Amino acid sequence: MNNRSGLLPTLTAILLFIALESLSLVLVTESGVVQRFRIMGTLRSVQAWGWTRTSNVSHFFNYRTENERLAAENLQLHQELAAAQAAARAADSLEVAVGPDFTWIGAGVIKNTVDRQHNHLILDKGSCEGVETGMGVVSSRGVVGIVDGVSPHYCHVVSLLGAGQSVSAKLGKSGAFGPMSWPGREPGLMLLSEIPVHIQAAPGDTVLTSGYSTIYPPDIPLGSVVSSQVSKGSSQELTVRLFEEFRSLHHVYVIRNNHQQEIEALYESLP
Amino acid sequence: MNPYRNLLYFVLLFLLQLAISDYVHLGPWVTVTLFPLLIVLLPLSWSPHKVMLAAFVMGLALDVFSNGVMGLNAFAAVTAAAPRRFLYRTLVNNDRQDETVLMTLRQAGFIKYFKFLLALAAIFLAAFILLDCAGLRPFGFVLGRFTASLLASTALCLALSLPVQNH
Repeated sequence: MNNRSGLLPTLTAILLFIALESLSLVLVTESGVVQRFRIMGTLRSVQAWGWTRTSNVSHFFNYRTENERLAAENLQLHQELAAAQAAARAADSLEVAVGPDFTWIGAGVIKNTVDRQHNHLILDKGSCEGVETGMGVVSSRGVVGIVDGVSPHYCHVVSLLGAGQSVSAKLGKSGAFGPMSWPGREPGLMLLSEIPVHIQAAPGDTVLTSGYSTIYPPDIPLGSVVSSQVSKGSSQELTVRLFEEFRSLHHVYVIRNNHQQEIEALYESLP
Repeated sequence: MNPYRNLLYFVLLFLLQLAISDYVHLGPWVTVTLFPLLIVLLPLSWSPHKVMLAAFVMGLALDVFSNGVMGLNAFAAVTAAAPRRFLYRTLVNNDRQDETVLMTLRQAGFIKYFKFLLALAAIFLAAFILLDCAGLRPFGFVLGRFTASLLASTALCLALSLPVQNH
């Protein structure tokens, strides 16, 4: 009780002190130009410090929303880019525009493995959103895998980080292409094989999707060359470090090739 | 001195402070203030709230009637008045004897009185000079002005403390 009765006068004294000093400073600010400059400058610094901190906290809590908004915006840009590329090709070749070659469907990753020999992902989009088996999955930083199972609201994706998985890739400079696969040692390192020996590949050269498949669009950046070595005397094997960080995948795009059926029908009709 | 004479002396000291502020110009290095003595002379029975309010009113009155920056003396006076009770109990009445109505040089003894006055003057002048210079003067000048002002103000306050007697 004594503590309480002693605390209240102390608190009111502190509040009174702050009030009187603040009032004095307001008067000083109004009266002295130099003091106004210094006091307001200090106040602005304190304000800026406070705003920065609150802004950081608010950003932290808004990351999820912000990521989703950016993913949606990215999806729209991909679709617009695909439509523009199709229109440009049609204009160049005087062909009839048949619409974009690829349709992009945004999806969230709800499960992902990277430390097994056969890795997979589960995405939160399924047949209700137009996802079908065999579609490619990419992110803003490269190829992710291929859809191999679909339910109404989810799909199962075989990751590129899996034995037997490969993607047709090319060197950005020379255009030389070959299959790129995962040797199964480290999630970020792939092997690009069947590159002719006379092709010079320097460390840092960019590797892109070749577009020689019905699954992935061309020119998606995949990674950069780390080193090369001659394999079997007739070709090179390039070690490529992926741009994609598979451990931190959150937003991806499922890609539908709008001409896939037509191309496959053509293959089947060949003798 | 009876209480009325003390009150009259207090008013005279305030008028003297006003005259010093308006008419005594000792250059940029020295600021003479009687506020430490004015704060000492406030009754010891007053709570910190009362002391701070009184100091604020006196400082503001001096700011209004002198040609200085409005609020400067009020700010420094409140800064010095706030820890008065703490300083008194730490530096003067540290054996917690009965507190008298008014603190005087004879009752407290020269050393204790001097330390108390010096502490109040240091706090007042530190607040006053730092706000007055607003960080635009070199540290050497601020320190020199503080030291010179502290010596001059403490000496004058000590001299003017002699007529004050407890009743």
